[in-house]
Amino acid sequence: MYRLFSTPGWFNGWDIVIESFGFIVALFIALFSWRIYRLHKENRFAYFSLAFILVALGLLVKAGTSSILYFTPVRDVAADVLRPVAGAGLKFSYLWYRSGFLLHMIPMLGAWLLLFFISQKSRARLHKFHEVTQMALFIYLILLISIVANFKYFVFYLTSSVLLALIVLNYYKHALNLPKKTNSLLVMLAFLLILLGNLFFVFVFLQNGLYVIGELFQLAGFLLLLYVYSTVIRR
Amino acid sequence: MAARRSRLELVFDILSSIQNKGGIIKPTHLMYKSNLSHKLLNNYLEELIGKELVLIEEQIVRKKKAPNKTIRITDKGLTFLAEFRRIREFTDAFGL
Repeated sequence: MYRLFSTPGWFNGWDIVIESFGFIVALFIALFSWRIYRLHKENRFAYFSLAFILVALGLLVKAGTSSILYFTPVRDVAADVLRPVAGAGLKFSYLWYRSGFLLHMIPMLGAWLLLFFISQKSRARLHKFHEVTQMALFIYLILLISIVANFKYFVFYLTSSVLLALIVLNYYKHALNLPKKTNSLLVMLAFLLILLGNLFFVFVFLQNGLYVIGELFQLAGFLLLLYVYSTVIRR
Repeated sequence: MAARRSRLELVFDILSSIQNKGGIIKPTHLMYKSNLSHKLLNNYLEELIGKELVLIEEQIVRKKKAPNKTIRITDKGLTFLAEFRRIREFTDAFGL
């Protein structure tokens, strides 16, 4: 079966559980932000909601793709449905995995980029940091364009990591300007854990066990986001 | 310099000023507490009364021609305050 990168067989299915959990958390946050948008009518809440809907969508696509690849009955049904369109010689797993990975990548990168722009605020006392982050992003994009010709799966995780690192930095700056920092620092920590998860995914080609660690970091990140969300809601 | 308060923040300031005074306040006190002009406060109060977030109570006092007016926060107003605090907590936490 074609795979962009290999994952430990014993972990098949557990990653779907983690992805589904992240999907639910992202959806909760998106819905609450949408509720605020309907009350405030300020675009930033709609964008924030859209960002988390994109996260949810990306995770849903990944969970869906993985479940078709892992579970043979599901794969056979999907192959039967697609065969009249794609022909008898359908290289199903190849086609499915490529398109699934692409449909996972687009919303996730869109979400991180949107979150970066939402969290980006110019503050006089942190003006230098603001400029440095912008320059760093542009330099990275130039490097990325030169690499993208030789497309490899880790380019996606590397891009996600860079965007997440900038989001973490923005949340750190945001927390500095707040009198009550706890929840804001927890959100920063949550994104830091998701960032670490993505960094582990980058190196899965070296050792497939890193995929498990990456998924666990991602789970911890979403658990922390859920914790912050529930403390806010319970007030 | 502090940023201008949004419409919802003004409503929150008015309602929390009433709540901080035990749920009932005189109009002049409210004007100072919420840092609003007389005209602006009246505009907002009309809206809040229309939405049943506050109500005006009048007390007839001897030796005075006009009755004493007080503003009382309703249960709906208290619910709104709790919801607004939740929203503020969310926006602070998520850097919005």
